[in-house]
Amino acid sequence: MIYDIRHVTTYSYETQVSFARCSLRLEPMSGAGQKLMSHSVDIRPKPSERTARRDFFGTLTESVLIETAHRNLRIDSRSRVSVDRQALPRDAASPPWEAVRDGAFEASSLGADSPVGYVFASALVPVLRTVTEYAAASFPPGDGIVSGAADLMRRIRTGFKYDPKATVISTPLKEVFEKRHGVCQDFAHVMIAGLRGLGLPAAYVSGYLRTIPPPGQPRLQGADATHAWVSVWCGTALGWVGFDPTNDLVVANDHIILAIGRDFADVSPVDGVIVGARKQKLNVAVDVLLVE
Amino acid sequence: MSEPVGQKDSQGSNQESRARPGQRRMAQWMRDYARLPGIPDEYIAEGGAPRPVWTRFFDAFAALSPADIERRFASADRHLREAGVTYRAPGDTSDRIWPLSHLPLIIDAADWRQLAAGIAQRAQLLEMVLADLYGEGRLVATGAIPAAAIAGSGEYLRAISGIKPPGGRYLHLYAADIGRGPDGRWWVLGDRTQAPSGAGYALENRLVLSRAFSNLYKSMNVERVAPFFESFRDSLRASAERDEPRIGLLTPGSFNETYFEHATLARYLGFLLVEGDDLAVSGDRVHIRTVAGLKRLDVLLRRVDSNMLDPLELDASSYLGVPGLVEVLRKGGVVVANMPGSGVLEARGLLGFLPNLCRRLLSEDLMMPHIATWWCGQKSAREQVLSRLDEFAIEGAYGRGVPGFPGNGPVLPGQLSADERGRLKDAIASRGVDYVGQELVRLSTTPVWENGRLAPRPFVLRVFAAATPNGWTVLPGGFCRIAERADARAVSMGDGAVSADVWVVSDKAVATSTLLPAVDTVRIRRIAGVLPSRAADNLFWLGRYLERAEATMRLIRALCTPLRDPARGNSTGAAPTLHSAERIQRMLVAWGATSQTARTNPAKVALEALQNEEKFGSALSLVRSAQRTATGLRERLSPDAWQVITEMADRLAIEVHDDDGVVSAAELTLQELASFAGLAQENMNRAAGWRFLDMGRRAERAVNTTRFARQFAYDEAGDEDLDVLLTLVDCQITYRSRYLVQPLLAPVRDLAVLDPYNPRSVAFQVAGLNEHIAALPSLKEHGLIERPQRLAVAIEAMLTTAEAASLDVKTLFALEQDLLSLADAIGLHYFPHGPNASRPEKLTGLA
Repeated sequence: MIYDIRHVTTYSYETQVSFARCSLRLEPMSGAGQKLMSHSVDIRPKPSERTARRDFFGTLTESVLIETAHRNLRIDSRSRVSVDRQALPRDAASPPWEAVRDGAFEASSLGADSPVGYVFASALVPVLRTVTEYAAASFPPGDGIVSGAADLMRRIRTGFKYDPKATVISTPLKEVFEKRHGVCQDFAHVMIAGLRGLGLPAAYVSGYLRTIPPPGQPRLQGADATHAWVSVWCGTALGWVGFDPTNDLVVANDHIILAIGRDFADVSPVDGVIVGARKQKLNVAVDVLLVE
Repeated sequence: MSEPVGQKDSQGSNQESRARPGQRRMAQWMRDYARLPGIPDEYIAEGGAPRPVWTRFFDAFAALSPADIERRFASADRHLREAGVTYRAPGDTSDRIWPLSHLPLIIDAADWRQLAAGIAQRAQLLEMVLADLYGEGRLVATGAIPAAAIAGSGEYLRAISGIKPPGGRYLHLYAADIGRGPDGRWWVLGDRTQAPSGAGYALENRLVLSRAFSNLYKSMNVERVAPFFESFRDSLRASAERDEPRIGLLTPGSFNETYFEHATLARYLGFLLVEGDDLAVSGDRVHIRTVAGLKRLDVLLRRVDSNMLDPLELDASSYLGVPGLVEVLRKGGVVVANMPGSGVLEARGLLGFLPNLCRRLLSEDLMMPHIATWWCGQKSAREQVLSRLDEFAIEGAYGRGVPGFPGNGPVLPGQLSADERGRLKDAIASRGVDYVGQELVRLSTTPVWENGRLAPRPFVLRVFAAATPNGWTVLPGGFCRIAERADARAVSMGDGAVSADVWVVSDKAVATSTLLPAVDTVRIRRIAGVLPSRAADNLFWLGRYLERAEATMRLIRALCTPLRDPARGNSTGAAPTLHSAERIQRMLVAWGATSQTARTNPAKVALEALQNEEKFGSALSLVRSAQRTATGLRERLSPDAWQVITEMADRLAIEVHDDDGVVSAAELTLQELASFAGLAQENMNRAAGWRFLDMGRRAERAVNTTRFARQFAYDEAGDEDLDVLLTLVDCQITYRSRYLVQPLLAPVRDLAVLDPYNPRSVAFQVAGLNEHIAALPSLKEHGLIERPQRLAVAIEAMLTTAEAASLDVKTLFALEQDLLSLADAIGLHYFPHGPNASRPEKLTGLA
């Protein structure tokens, strides 16, 4: 399948901003069952400097410097991506989760693909005893990693309330877990925390969902904004498999990956510091159209 | 300080009569010294005989009379207090005085040479490991280091991976915590590779102790510490691209627990003490915001943890760093010491792999043993720990604290409840990577002085090594922390521990040592040529706070004095009319020094204005504000100046009860303020820093004097009001010598406002401000005159041409407003809160 994606980020400031230094991670990745066909980012006001490099996780990161005074910052990103993934059944045969855990700890690489990078607490995902115990209920001894992860995903989908007003990006995971509400990145963080507590490698994925569902299917939660889900390492043979706890879906062809990291902090699409604004307002619009 | 040993024994002209009581004392100390059973000791060897270096020390020490010893101890304590050697324990809201053990830890030179060689080897090894971890990655790929032992560390910074460290190395300063094990060898307890603290305290301890016992120190042939710091500084300079590099010491700020040390080191090494806000990335470089604009910074010695260094690429919530710093590192534009990410080697889980790594990378055996450590990420080690759990102390593998258990220290399984012990076992079984088991070890004790006796205490010694172009050099000495408790592993300042100086002592006289000065002297150097905007800001406000405190004191004194001295004044012959007192009171209310608005007992108003801390404008509050501001300037203030401010605050806080108390407190404080002004005038370099301090003082005095003139030389003012004004601006004598008549409106106005020769007049202050502004670097844009100068020149012109007769209240009010605008303009122009230099904030929201 081929998708056309338009992702427009607009910051409006109360007062003039004289200076902005931003990091953009807006280029959809190639790999993991998808291929980037074209991509462009237009920034207003025009930056005085733009440099791009691949970060540790392989994400194209653009550093942008804006020295023109402005009240609005508009970042317009357009991408075309083809996606071709095999959907993995929720009960697919998979190695016992304990074996996956031991394998991850014994990895001999620190690379971005190595599972060992995703079994420890990270900036936004602490390992908490309560969350680990919650996750443990989905992993009886000897059970397969895929069925366990699918069960945990389902429990988060049914046990947590989707509420865009309940949390902001700085809401700690502990609070999200105790109050059982949040949005897609909260659910992804909770699922990641639970899996890591058990020693299972779990990565954070930022990306998009197709806006208009296939005929006869419901519109997915989070389709009009950037989305987030979880990638779980399921042993050497299966590798990384996507699980979307917001929609209770094993990731297949409705998801387009932007970037993968340990948590939101590693992949945030637009990040930066500014000088001047008293108050800021953010608007994000995402449109994902199926081309063919 | 002179130190005639044994001077107290007045008959003691012959050696014997002095030695005998000394020998008796020493014998007594040894008899009383109760070594802890089964634990080795520094002073007394295994067989019960004292070690020679300690015997030499105590020989000389015992020759001092008990009274002399106590006096010297007291002098050491006084120095610590006066120099303001402080630290903060976690949770403290104010500084604590640094507790110093009065006895040094003494180490034999031969023993030390071995130890130093081991430390230098270890530093070299760790540098090579870091270069591989963030570079090629062969050690992990070949299994010499398990990936999980690294990946779990919060200090393994993926953003740093692949960056070639500018300056050519990761580690510039390395420290190790060590202790002496039961086998008599020194053992490493932990490595400090992030931003080792303690070297500055070691320096301060040395200064204090070598001063208090200068002859004893001299006679002991103690290795000097100054050359180490020189060589560290020179090496950092050499690591920069430019010949005359600008070096900053990056501190988290004055709320940090070791801020005093940052200030000490910056001053001693001649580096600029900077905070993240002082720095800005522009182009491919890091710059300091100074009063002369952005200036390139070549080297950053950091005392801020790696993760906090750059909100763009590291911890996004940090306000302590510099946005874009990692990108500058990537481009090779600044040397950061130690390189961000170096802290990964502090992980305890790595200890066990070092012997093999040493053979592999250096082709030699690791010289220093370390505390036996089993990383539970490996199956065999995990099984060993689980099978003999109670024989270990359990620690976190990566950082402070044991995951899942409260506190920062180790967990001793033998002391846990059955439940907790079970939980620990489960945790180790399922996530063993997070834990290490460490051998429970009894480290040696060292003597401390306790109520005239010696007592053994466990200690941890931190030793330091600096990278130089010719290899690693080790500080002969170090930072020794002595515990109150028997378990030395829990030593940290905060739970009753003290620190001690460390003497590396040669057993025979070192020929060269007599050529060295008796004490380790501080080499005076000028602070580097640029003045960071933040420091300028603080100096300006320090000047303003102190001047405002002075004006408040004068008001308080004027309010009380006449009541004690009814014979004052020519016309009324008694207390000032209620009218004058009310005007003074009104001013104190306007300044927030008192809230007594009703007509009331002046003594009550004066008391509140003097020392009510809840009133932000009270004299005590103002002096405290000055003290807080001065805290951020520690590296720029002389110890004397700091001491004056501290004493002033301490004394003002002592409660007084009556008029007499108020007046004498006000007078003492005015004297102290004058002595601070004198110190600044006489002792401060006439560099930009002094100018800002003086500008603050002059700006504040100009505003206050104008206000006094408006209040007491108003158009219908009587001679009593004018008399008060003359007192407030300290011009009684000048006036009387000049006019020989009772106070008259025009002459008083002229003297207080216009007279350019009167150092207390408004005109004099404005002339001073003008001179300073003209001498400061210009940031000229478009070649136009800059705003502070424009305002100051205009005010000076007005004051030069005005006539006293025309200085009505309206004119005075306008002048006051102009002066306030001038003060603001100086702030906007030079300080970091200006529109072009404000603190960057994060983009927020889920983009």
